[in-house]
Amino acid sequence: MVGVSFINPLSTEGREKVREQGSLENLIHDNPELIDVITRDPNQKISEDNEIPRNYLELALKRLEWYIKKKNDREFKHTKYSFLSNPQIEKFDLISFYLLSQAIGVKFGPNSRESRLMVESQGSLMEHRLEELNHRDRRELILKALQELIRQETVKWIFFGDLLSSRKIQLTDLVLDQGDVILDRDEFIMRFGHRLEHRNPEKMYQLLIGEEVQQLILIRMVMQETENYISNVHEKARMMVEPNPILLELAERLTDILREPTTSYGYSGGGGGFSKSGPLHREAFPPCVKSALEGIKSGGRNDAIVLFMTPFLSYARLCPDIFRQNVTVRVSDKDPNLQIVHHEILPMIYEAARNCHPPLFEDQPQEKVNINAKMGFGMHTTLKLENEGETKWYTPMSCEKIKLHLPHLCRPDQHCKKIGNPLSYYGLKSYILRQEQPKLGARNDSTPGDHQENKQDSRANNKDGDS
Amino acid sequence: MEFKTATPQERRQYYREEWDVKDVPRFIRDSLYQREFGFDHYGRGPNDRYKVFRNSDYLRKFMRVRTPFAAYSSVAFYEKPNRRDGWLKSELVFDVDAKDLPVRSCECGSVCEICLEQAKEIVRDILDTLQGDFGLKNIYTIYSGRGYHVRVLDEEVMPLDSEVRGQIVKYMVGADVPRSKYSRDGMTYNLEHFTIPFGYPRVFTERVKKSILHLNEDIMLEDVNKKLVKDVIKNRELILNNQWGPFKNKKGPLRYKKLIKSLAFLNLSLVDAKVSIDLKRILRLPSSLHSIVSMKCTEINNLETFDPFRDAVPKFVQERKD
Repeated sequence: MVGVSFINPLSTEGREKVREQGSLENLIHDNPELIDVITRDPNQKISEDNEIPRNYLELALKRLEWYIKKKNDREFKHTKYSFLSNPQIEKFDLISFYLLSQAIGVKFGPNSRESRLMVESQGSLMEHRLEELNHRDRRELILKALQELIRQETVKWIFFGDLLSSRKIQLTDLVLDQGDVILDRDEFIMRFGHRLEHRNPEKMYQLLIGEEVQQLILIRMVMQETENYISNVHEKARMMVEPNPILLELAERLTDILREPTTSYGYSGGGGGFSKSGPLHREAFPPCVKSALEGIKSGGRNDAIVLFMTPFLSYARLCPDIFRQNVTVRVSDKDPNLQIVHHEILPMIYEAARNCHPPLFEDQPQEKVNINAKMGFGMHTTLKLENEGETKWYTPMSCEKIKLHLPHLCRPDQHCKKIGNPLSYYGLKSYILRQEQPKLGARNDSTPGDHQENKQDSRANNKDGDS
Repeated sequence: MEFKTATPQERRQYYREEWDVKDVPRFIRDSLYQREFGFDHYGRGPNDRYKVFRNSDYLRKFMRVRTPFAAYSSVAFYEKPNRRDGWLKSELVFDVDAKDLPVRSCECGSVCEICLEQAKEIVRDILDTLQGDFGLKNIYTIYSGRGYHVRVLDEEVMPLDSEVRGQIVKYMVGADVPRSKYSRDGMTYNLEHFTIPFGYPRVFTERVKKSILHLNEDIMLEDVNKKLVKDVIKNRELILNNQWGPFKNKKGPLRYKKLIKSLAFLNLSLVDAKVSIDLKRILRLPSSLHSIVSMKCTEINNLETFDPFRDAVPKFVQERKD
């Protein structure tokens, strides 16, 4: 049976195996043993020599390349990467996992696109490796790996706080009773067996929890641990005088790998194709924004204007591809003298405020200060460049958050199904409108980006406001 | 009983003759110095914020002298509450406002005995799920003046962020349709939410059941036409008797799917979700006066026997002559 470290490199077994390998001097030199494992893999269909990773560094890059291609390349063939699911690759794979995580931690940090990709790829690789195992081995491996991570007879739902917070799992994925997450078969039958009429408790357990939920939890926990590991490395690296040059080299080559899909397949997340800023066009606004522009009744006015409309309109006008860029920007990076803010953005926010019932500023003029604050200009009555940076420029709320904050605004249309954030809707609809009316695109000084209607990058789509 | 705004004299009478600082629940008095207080002195919203009281005595004096229109305290605990700085933790709160219920059995337009009873029913369900599914114990129920606040102070939930709180709210009200497709050994099985008598599917079934039982023909449901609403109302006896299978068969699988999706969305308005996810919210101070309706915001010891029209009415209302 394969070891736990094959699916969880951060397990005790994984860490011990890495330690046992001792010196890691030959990370960048050809490793005949590794090459042998890959070329002798019975499932491999590698036709070119340059497709064979020859050392730890190249194997690390193949790990990520596999995930990017699997996700984005319609021509993707797993047989070119079949060595990744061969248990014999384990001891090499462990080192490449740590190398990659450390390179990302040192160079990019835990909140980077690279980190996200690493975490997602680890989850996907685990899933793939588990699928390749026979049923019995898979079940045993899942149980063994989970036992090490949970180490408790019964586990409280709050134990998964991090996973819930990062949306790796949903509370509704879990079976809860008296605060416990029910994972064990006997526990399930003892607690719920008597409530089941005309149904076999054993079969119900297998369907509702069984391997599927256990596997989900295991994968998500390892993903979270990977994220935490990258974060720890990042913290330690900040105190280092000089990072290991091998890690820096790996990080650089990683950037090249990531650059390729952005140009070839459009990997980089986001749901729309609006890459440049241009004047706001209302016909591309999502239904929630159109509804808020028409006015909000007393009760939800503040949140609608300050927390929802202000970030949406400012980003839609100045930086519609913010989630794709994955960088922190200031308003003045896009509008250096604040002309657009004063002449286009604020007037539209104020228009929405005026249309409220009663008009928002009539009884709450102080909300003008909050609008300035949400664009990053501190708590001041006048929006001035000198105050920029006193507060953060809030990113637009995700659809999920709108449903919680302002449920009455959410009246989805057919395009809403494809996106997770109103800003993505704006990008998508702008693109569609430009296709229908070519002149509109020219007038708006915008160019089509990598139009994708799928939800490749759920994190970008679901990104919430900085609230 | 008439809901009439309290006059400044009535507020004075309330805070000087009837109110006692000991009526402020202990869970607030014990953490007074870590909470931000906010006041509305003129009935225009709580714009006197960032107040802190070192002990109950300072709060007592303030209330007696200022006799505010409304008083609030934060659900958050801070290192420096006077600057809302150094956030430590927040209560987990559910706000059920009778006037904002998405489906109402009454037509009062504001609040009345019927919709307050309906709000109480929702609170009962929330308490049941908080205790039964989430295993939480340190829970307080407050009558807010126009509805109810459920305040959870179990230490393990207090540090949770907005994201997790958002998920708890959705679980609590049944805002996500549970999946119905389950697979095992390569086979896919269909298990509807009403066939699973525990966990989230049970919560969802119960919430949807109540929404259906309270539906009226005037309701506007997303993606559901008037005819389907009428059909649902016609057959809701089946739901009352938990005959979900026959009910679903009568509607047909596609119409049933549309219906429950729409009701899940509607359920999100059973509570004011933004109150639950806001870590720095201020909430009406229990024991204070809800001056708009002249009722006391009060801690409830026994939800079953609590009657707002008996237990939350200040003396000055009983003494009113008009």
